[in-house]
Amino acid sequence: MDGHFRAFSFVDRITSVLPGVKIGGIYQIPAGISEFPQSLAAEAVGQLAAWSAMAAFDFKRRPVAGIAAAVELLSPVRPGQTLELAADLESVESDAVAYGGTAHCEGRPVLRLVHCVGPMLPQEDFDDPQAVKTRFSLLCQSGAQAGGFAGVPPLPLEDTGAEAGQWRRATLHVPQTLAVFADHFARRPVLPGTLSMHKTLELADRLMKDVPAAGGWTARTISGSKVRAFTLPGESLEIEVRLARRDGDTAVVAVEARKGKRSVGASRITFQAEGNP
Amino acid sequence: MSSENITKEEVAAIFPKVAEIMADALGCEVAEVKPDASLIKDLGAESIDFLDIVFRLERGFKVKIPRGKIVEDARGSLSEADFEKGGVVTDAGVARLKDFLSEVPPDRFPSPLKVAEIPKLFTVETFCKMVIRQQRAAPPA
Repeated sequence: MDGHFRAFSFVDRITSVLPGVKIGGIYQIPAGISEFPQSLAAEAVGQLAAWSAMAAFDFKRRPVAGIAAAVELLSPVRPGQTLELAADLESVESDAVAYGGTAHCEGRPVLRLVHCVGPMLPQEDFDDPQAVKTRFSLLCQSGAQAGGFAGVPPLPLEDTGAEAGQWRRATLHVPQTLAVFADHFARRPVLPGTLSMHKTLELADRLMKDVPAAGGWTARTISGSKVRAFTLPGESLEIEVRLARRDGDTAVVAVEARKGKRSVGASRITFQAEGNP
Repeated sequence: MSSENITKEEVAAIFPKVAEIMADALGCEVAEVKPDASLIKDLGAESIDFLDIVFRLERGFKVKIPRGKIVEDARGSLSEADFEKGGVVTDAGVARLKDFLSEVPPDRFPSPLKVAEIPKLFTVETFCKMVIRQQRAAPPA
């Protein structure tokens, strides 16, 4: 089946929308997949905000991943659950959208995006504007058929260096072909920034396993996240996570992603020792 | 001296906060953020960083900074046709830019100057002045 609007689409139905102002929607996480990382809940909120921003520009412009002042990781979600999504747009202009948003599950907050900024680019470079517009109408009316996402694609991290509890480095080799590329984006496949975020969290978790804490560590917030460049099929990303600070039950990990010498992404992840929410 | 009368004292008053915001946005040390530092050449800023900086300045100073504001303000009363031709800034446009971007040393203006290259001229002080202009336009309540 064609993966367009299925392989990496995380809004099944738009329940309310004021183009360029606010939007609400839902997403049913497929029951048959093995996991649904919180980074994909962030993707769902971002995609929801994108629908409102695109509608404000008659689908001639679309936002792409850019900056998130903070991604608050509030609680995990499981396959089979339904995400209730909401986004408030702070501003929408032809070159950028600024927004915040939340994902809830069964009334419980799952994730919050704070002060996100996405560059607005020509829609036609990424997708067929008319097809996107038609999809928006479907989402606003009956909604789309759920269950298109087949699960987190295999993206192995190759360890390239480490100093236990201090830093870790790994290479993320992006395959030439992935199912998600059919949907992200149809005319210009790029690795979704939230999949990079997922792999970065995985590497940071491994770093924190070597930092002593009685109950282990849990990532709570990703702050100052910035995507400086697209990552294309077949490219490799060098990801480095470094323990920047530990202050009692809180630890901060600095993240940098590079393509060769060029820094293409950065963020900080705040971890909390378990048992101290 | 620019014709718009932004004083060194006004710039100095907001510079520390601007420098802190820029260091956060660019992931560099505050000490590296000098008033005359070029954002692109000296601090390694890319287009996404400009967006980031503008949004952070808006939040930090509670002002609204429309995107493209610097170039729009720089053009002043010149029409677009008088300011640039075929993507290259006209002589009148360059004269206007040198007045508007008085903080940029004249030897940093290439000749010819393409419109797309204008952001390469921007320094930290350029952004300080932009904040001051917006504060003057809509002082905090």
